[in-house]
Amino acid sequence: MTHKLKSWALNQAIEHSRRTVILVLLITAFIGSGVRFIFLDDNIMNMLPKDIDSRRIWDEVIEEFKYTDFFFVAFGNPNEKILNPDALAIAWDLTEKFENISLVDEVISISTMNRMDSEDGFLEVADLMPQKHLTDEEVASLSDYLENNSNISSRILSKGGNYINIVIRPKGDDDFPGLVAAVNEITAPYQNQYEFNFGGQPHLTGAIPELIKTETQQLMLLGLFIMATILLINLRSLPAVGMVLSVIFLSALAMMGFMGWVYYFTETPRFSFSMVNTSMPIVLLTIANSDGVHIISRFFREARKYKDVKKALTMTMNQLMLPVFLTSLTTTAAFLTMVSSPISTMTGYGVTIGFGIMWAWILSSTYLPAVINLKKWDMKNAAIDKPSILEKLIHRFGKSLLNYPKQVFLTGFLIVAVSSVGIWFINVEVNIINLFKPGHEIRESTLFLDREMAGSMSLVLKVEGDLKDPAVLNKMIDIQDYISVFPTVNTTFSIADVIKEMHKSIMDNDPKFDSIPETRGKINNLFTMYSMSGDPDDFEALVDYEYETGLITAMMQSVSTKEIVIMADQIEAYINEVGTEEFTTETSGMMMFLKDFTNLVVQSSINSILLSLVIIFFIAWIFFKHWKFGLFSVIPLTSAVILNFGLMGWFGIDLSHFTALLTAIIIGVGVDFAIHYISEFIHYSKNGIGTDEISRQVVDDVGYPILLDVFSNMGFGALVASSLIPLVHMGGLMVFAMISTSLGTLTILASLMEINKQNLIKLGNA
Amino acid sequence: MKKLLTIIMIMSRALGLTGDELVQKMEDRITPKDSKADMIMTLTNKKGKTRSSSLRSITKDDGAKQIIWFLSPADDKGVSFLKIEHDEKDDEMRMWLPAFKKIRRISAKKRSDSFMGSDMSYEDMSTRQIDEFNFNIIGNDTIQEVGCHLLESKPKEHIRTEYSRHITWVDSTLFLPLREESYDKKGKLLKEKVFTYMVINDYQILLKVHVANIQKNHSTTLKFENIELDRGVEDSFFHERYLKRLPK
Repeated sequence: MTHKLKSWALNQAIEHSRRTVILVLLITAFIGSGVRFIFLDDNIMNMLPKDIDSRRIWDEVIEEFKYTDFFFVAFGNPNEKILNPDALAIAWDLTEKFENISLVDEVISISTMNRMDSEDGFLEVADLMPQKHLTDEEVASLSDYLENNSNISSRILSKGGNYINIVIRPKGDDDFPGLVAAVNEITAPYQNQYEFNFGGQPHLTGAIPELIKTETQQLMLLGLFIMATILLINLRSLPAVGMVLSVIFLSALAMMGFMGWVYYFTETPRFSFSMVNTSMPIVLLTIANSDGVHIISRFFREARKYKDVKKALTMTMNQLMLPVFLTSLTTTAAFLTMVSSPISTMTGYGVTIGFGIMWAWILSSTYLPAVINLKKWDMKNAAIDKPSILEKLIHRFGKSLLNYPKQVFLTGFLIVAVSSVGIWFINVEVNIINLFKPGHEIRESTLFLDREMAGSMSLVLKVEGDLKDPAVLNKMIDIQDYISVFPTVNTTFSIADVIKEMHKSIMDNDPKFDSIPETRGKINNLFTMYSMSGDPDDFEALVDYEYETGLITAMMQSVSTKEIVIMADQIEAYINEVGTEEFTTETSGMMMFLKDFTNLVVQSSINSILLSLVIIFFIAWIFFKHWKFGLFSVIPLTSAVILNFGLMGWFGIDLSHFTALLTAIIIGVGVDFAIHYISEFIHYSKNGIGTDEISRQVVDDVGYPILLDVFSNMGFGALVASSLIPLVHMGGLMVFAMISTSLGTLTILASLMEINKQNLIKLGNA
Repeated sequence: MKKLLTIIMIMSRALGLTGDELVQKMEDRITPKDSKADMIMTLTNKKGKTRSSSLRSITKDDGAKQIIWFLSPADDKGVSFLKIEHDEKDDEMRMWLPAFKKIRRISAKKRSDSFMGSDMSYEDMSTRQIDEFNFNIIGNDTIQEVGCHLLESKPKEHIRTEYSRHITWVDSTLFLPLREESYDKKGKLLKEKVFTYMVINDYQILLKVHVANIQKNHSTTLKFENIELDRGVEDSFFHERYLKRLPK
């Protein structure tokens, strides 16, 4: 059956080349036309699962209260006092404009906050800024008030008094990119007058997708250019490079079109094009490139031998049809394991890229040989007639390598064994600030907010109990005092703070009464008195309608998930120590969720890698007809995975959800080499090549396209030049995957097969 | 036919009636000298959660003088509030806080402040003066078969207010406001108010007010019960010493 299919495809490509090319191009164009239905989803929040416990608590908090992660906009100039009539008028205008953004729930700023004054002992609630234009006297009064109320000023003014902080509370997490764009548009006219700093979770998650898209596009073009140059240097034929690149582009077009069509028919968000999908074209390019490079370089070698296009093409395709199919099948299977990912869009990622890979296989098996056949090749051309530099290099490498197979294997094994120890030191951690290189605008802005303002991140503690009970409120104050001691926490606030402030005000601003009143009756009286001039919604973000659930919000500097867990554990231990008879607490916030989410993604990526290895083992076993070939086919990959995680442990590179996901890509790009090697070995076994020659012959034949594939894909190493760490990791991992899997194949696998060649030749023949 | 006659009657009555004249007619309505009532105030937030309190109120001179005592919830019982409006100077407002055993003065600087945490502001509760607003009749409508003038009130420039305009459905026979829409400074609908009356001792007495803040999705319903009128309350009753004593 396989043989019949192979013969039919080859016949179509060679005997009906023009028809085959036109037909394949038409089908590809039709599938590719689905590109117009691609649904772009820039919102990272949509990718995140909703059924994790910490997410549930967080959603409950948002449902009960309001969105708890803020978008910060700070403006001012260094060494210039910001509290002046002009700057305050701008703060007023900006606040009004931000309030008009449909995605904004509320804006907390100097122009929207209240002041509580004591007038004849009565608590007077008034606007901090009664109107847009303030007189110098009014500014002085405002300045005095803020100086005496550090809990308010710390949220809206920088420590040195040079910047005003405007805090935007989004309505939800539906469209952070839209919010970032709207805020940028509003602040743009003022940016020549003042320095602006933006920060907070909504800003980060809103700005990252656009940055990643822009940088990926630029660096991918650079990568493609490098790839084409390396191919040209080695293949020495512009048409040949064009053919390889056309397979790449056509498969990428079909892949994107497929994604669009699936979305068009199903409208499932799993097939929306999100931030993680930006890596899809790069991954497919490397895989499609591999197919094309193997076929073209093999064709050149066969043409050199037979000096006849048809003969060379037939030999090439007879030999490569199966391994190209097998590599496509195993890679597709590896990507399909992503269906189990907790990130919904990864399902679409796996299926879409799987389709792209299989389409690249169809193109490589039909379109590419047909195009090769249509071209009139000059057999005396150096590209065909003479081996390239890489070919010569691999020939020499193979010779010396196979003279000492045991030593080579032992060295390779030792390297993998030593690096495997590093796995125990792996650190699962995410610090969002570390997604940007030092000096990046977003990183610097966030650090500025951490240093000068209340911080760029928040930790939320949900408190359930009688929030008019002095005992509960005093414990809330104790917890806040405890949290405030953490060096990363800049300020905390809760309903207890408001009660303290009201208490002090009613007692003629006597600092002695900056405390929770001793009776519930007094607390009630304070609320009733507040209601005489305050708004009923004023406490909406602090306490629920029944005064049964409240929030303690800690404004803090950007920290890692590991630090937040340590902090949450210590807070929990403290709460248990002070006693929780009267109330219960739960820690929430984006970081708590991110911690759980990262662990989940890491776990799922590891499962996906292991499952891929098992699937590849079985596929290779079935097609190569012996379990030993199945086992050998996963050896380079397993070594690469161990090396990757081990070296991450040794070099202290944190394993985050980003790196975990990208590591799974190693499987995709790295599986091909071993399959090609084993397939060639079996081919020569069947053709009666002796034990003396077989490994050298295989290394000569397979080593060259492997190295050419590796070198040309190095172009995507250009991603390491990105200012965004996820892209740097991606570029680095692509290079690492290429080097480790090719070396794994050409050293560990080659030496191991050389050591066991007697037995393997028998198995191959069988 | 009956409806048509009503409409013709309303139209003919409306003819020649200006906005200012309509407001004057509303002000000229005969009202009791004083009143005592129990009020049930129910606040409902956007999630449908409610908070209720009951109060007792004694007023005189169309609400220019008023004392309110909190009856429930138990936590608020005993808190009371005295208001005396003055033409020439700032209104006088005092509050008794039993837990602190203190009487505190409240200044009435901001008319847009919420009244007792409800959706009504002090501005909503005060009468619109003819010299502070431009009144116009912009049409006619019916509410539950009651013919109404549509009275538009726009504040004059010098007036500090949270609204840009109000449209009031004024009963064209009894000159009572039945419904009102209030728009914020940007011209967006902010509040909707619905008023219900009943006749007691020949007076049209407010029985229920429902105010909905459309933008915040929050509402307040105020119901009046046990209404007693013209009890002969003295001016001297509106003094802070009476704040501490809840009348029967």
